Amino acid sequence: MGIEKMELVTLVGQMSELDLCLDKCCESGCFHIEPAFSSVGTANGLTMLNEKNGYSAQLKEFERLASELGIELEQTDHSGYAPRTPEEFAQRAKEIGQSFEEISQRRKQAQQKISEVNGAITQIDHLKGMNSDFKEIFSCKYVAARIGRLPTDNLEKLDYYDENFFFVPFETESLYCWGMYFCPENEKAIIDDLFRSMYFERITLPGFVEGDSDKALKKLKQDLEQQQAESDECSRQMELISQQVKDEILKAYSKLCYLHGTFELRKKVGFMSGKFYIKGFVPKKDKKHFSELMQGFESVVVSYMPPDADANCTPPTILKNSWFTRPFNMLVEMYGLPNYGGFNPTAFVAVTYTVLFGIMFGDLGQGFLVVLLGLLVGKKLNKNAGGMMVRCGLSSMVFGTLYGSVFGFEELLDPMYEQLGVDFLPLKVFKQTNFILVTAVGIGVALIIMSMLINIYVGFKQKDYEKAIFGCNGIAGLIFYSSVAAGLVGTIMFDMKIMSLPFVLCLIVIPLVCIFCRVPFSIAVKYKKFRLSADEDEKMTVGGFIVENFFEMFEFLLSYISNTMSFLRVGGFVLSHAGMMLVVMTLMDGASAAAQPVVLVIGNAFVMAMEGMIVAIQIIRLEFYEIFSRFSESDGVPFEPVGTKFSATPE
Amino acid sequence: MLDGLSSNATVSKIRAIHGRMLTKDNYHEMLTKRSVQEITEYLAATPRFASVLADIDPNTVHRGFLETLLEKENFDTYIRLCQFQQLDKIPFFDFLIEKTEIDCILMLINSINTGVDRSYLNDLPGYVINHTKLDLLELSSADDFNKLMKLLRGTPYHKTLVRAALSDDGTVDYTECERRLRTQYYTNIIKNAEEAFPDSQSDEVVRMVKQDIDFLNQINAYRMKAYFGFSAEQIKKHQIKISNIGKKLDSYYELDTPEQMLEWLNKNEAQADLTDVSTLEVGMQREKFRRLEHQIYRSFNAPVVLYAFTQLCGYETSNIIHIIEGIRYGVDPSYIENNILIC
Repeated sequence: MGIEKMELVTLVGQMSELDLCLDKCCESGCFHIEPAFSSVGTANGLTMLNEKNGYSAQLKEFERLASELGIELEQTDHSGYAPRTPEEFAQRAKEIGQSFEEISQRRKQAQQKISEVNGAITQIDHLKGMNSDFKEIFSCKYVAARIGRLPTDNLEKLDYYDENFFFVPFETESLYCWGMYFCPENEKAIIDDLFRSMYFERITLPGFVEGDSDKALKKLKQDLEQQQAESDECSRQMELISQQVKDEILKAYSKLCYLHGTFELRKKVGFMSGKFYIKGFVPKKDKKHFSELMQGFESVVVSYMPPDADANCTPPTILKNSWFTRPFNMLVEMYGLPNYGGFNPTAFVAVTYTVLFGIMFGDLGQGFLVVLLGLLVGKKLNKNAGGMMVRCGLSSMVFGTLYGSVFGFEELLDPMYEQLGVDFLPLKVFKQTNFILVTAVGIGVALIIMSMLINIYVGFKQKDYEKAIFGCNGIAGLIFYSSVAAGLVGTIMFDMKIMSLPFVLCLIVIPLVCIFCRVPFSIAVKYKKFRLSADEDEKMTVGGFIVENFFEMFEFLLSYISNTMSFLRVGGFVLSHAGMMLVVMTLMDGASAAAQPVVLVIGNAFVMAMEGMIVAIQIIRLEFYEIFSRFSESDGVPFEPVGTKFSATPE
Repeated sequence: MLDGLSSNATVSKIRAIHGRMLTKDNYHEMLTKRSVQEITEYLAATPRFASVLADIDPNTVHRGFLETLLEKENFDTYIRLCQFQQLDKIPFFDFLIEKTEIDCILMLINSINTGVDRSYLNDLPGYVINHTKLDLLELSSADDFNKLMKLLRGTPYHKTLVRAALSDDGTVDYTECERRLRTQYYTNIIKNAEEAFPDSQSDEVVRMVKQDIDFLNQINAYRMKAYFGFSAEQIKKHQIKISNIGKKLDSYYELDTPEQMLEWLNKNEAQADLTDVSTLEVGMQREKFRRLEHQIYRSFNAPVVLYAFTQLCGYETSNIIHIIEGIRYGVDPSYIENNILIC
């Protein structure tokens, strides 16, 4: 349960085999492509294949055909479909288009007229009340009239022009003002130019609009009906054609999506002297499968290198997880993937999350319902969320059994423990409040120490000595924190005098000095030099160093205390859960015999929904703030194997 | 202390908007588009420009109007940010309005000099009219420099421009007017910052403005030397001069050749390798871009963050315009990408 090992792969071959090679990369399902080099231009004679995708136009053409015929695009098996080149697709698109071109044209004309008529109706609505003949207005000999919309911001400017025109606004919206302007016929070129410069969008009224507004509207509505009938008839005929060509269009479009996607990958391919150059990563476990796929080529040479061989590429991260931890992957991804050389915290999260949920939401009955709900969610909605719920529900059942709580009935399991002869169980929450709170803090201390150990492991792995040895979460921090914790527990709880001078000096003061001087110490270990700042160019004075580190130390010490105390909420929720169920039970006792089952069901449902969610969120908070922040570096790149996506986006 | 804290919400808001700004990947994707219509559709789908382009029909929108809308979005964002915590009551925060006023006056002077009728009114951005202290529409009636001076009487710009030399043909030295107005602009910003903010805050603002001035002076001096062969004295005469600023540039102005200037810049200013004129401006602008981004995330002072943010917005719009122009005129996408300001 770590991070999947990667291999850096380079593929070099003749351009004639590029398309097939990219096909195989997609087919492999395990190839994460990287740009052949980082800049867009050329480097050492290597050029990026930034060509125009020849399939784009055909993809749009088939989208247009599907849209015109009312075909909903969906992914279809295209294995038997012959055309492959853009020219072949263009030919088929032309043939299909010709089969309904005439009908389509008729329908388009009808629809265009319908739009024109509707537009004209909108315009005439603005002109209602003007009892003049429109034809007369637009055919004036000395006056030109224009209808359209002007950006609202430019309205105020109109008053400052000296030119001979006037603008009549009809309706002002946030962006545009609908209106009409008039100007002398012989100056219309200048005025049109002026309005164009203010981004006036002119709308032309259809030629058949005539008479006053009422007459015009009547005529327009008659025309609208005629055009609608014509359009409907054309649509019926188109429907018949659509049924005949639907299969072919779907196959062609699916194949085009695949070819278009493969071609897009060329943008990451380098080209030099007739040869292509592809770079990417393959998981080590899939190396054999990938090599087998690449064997059929004449010219393609596949080379494998260590993942860190190219400084320009960051190896992607795949988290390796078992069946138990896999659903918790989503929490780690939510925080940020660890980098390739980092630590996979999923197992740690899985165990701690499950246990903490059980402790905070311990109820045998409610836990069982969470398991059932989890199975349902996993099947119908989200597999990972369902999986998490099942694991948390089981944990809740285990701790519910320890607390002796079943749907809020705290004495239901007592006879069972009496029969078994276990006298310290069930744990009576309200009678052992102190024990619960102290245990919660103890769990916190243990988890923080574990997080520090993980940080030390990661620090040594990355040869980061500041992180591993001298940092507040390194060996120095671990010794300081665990010594203080042990000292306090020993002195307060067990009355042991372990805070002696040597203990304090060796296990508290010296680690604190190490944390304070972590930067110069780590530089001394790594580079055998003395420097106060990690940045070579920064001139840090001794005074500045002391002030800066004093405040940082203050923050570290404060965070040790606050992070530990933060775990008190674990105990707090145990009490709160029991408290809320006590309220439900009290309400139930006060209700009539008939209402008692209803109160019990509603009360349990309310507590499950509200507290279940709060507990889930609070644990995420504990994981992210108190645990992850100590070791996690979430700068990993997700592994994205190349492939082509089907996208149905007809215009 | 509480004064400083009171504008933290504005800083957070700016950072949130900055997070929505176009990224390198966005520009890369835009470069794969083939028409203004496709670019408009793309921009309308981004969270950054979705609201301002919501009512636009990509099929009919004019390229110029699209650019105006992007600039309007930047200006409206700036106004909203200033009003958010009533920062607009502090004179410093008028800096963009003042800059717009200066740009409009310069546009008008250019229009008067070239004699192109109406060009000022056509190009005047309508969205600023209601925000400026100066009546920008009224200025459109000025058809010569004297009339412009008459209309500017009573404003701070009158005093700045009144001494600009008028030539016999009625034109005025545009470069000199620009230098005077820009000097006034930067002087005002520094003065307003020093008056309104505590020392630590105003120091940060002043440092940023000084960097701005140095940046302008360095580029202008290089142009003067490379394209017009100006002497050190002539170069100094045309620089933005504010007391205690730019003294270290004297040695730069006194260099004999443009190549020496490039070498000086490589050594003292730019981290990128400035090899020739073509890389100089983009290289230095990118340097400035990096500095502004750094200010946005490093500083907790609203004046600094807002000032840096407005400049980044300007760079963003200029990148988009660059891409649109490149696509319209069929320029190689890799050439455009090399010239847009991204880090």
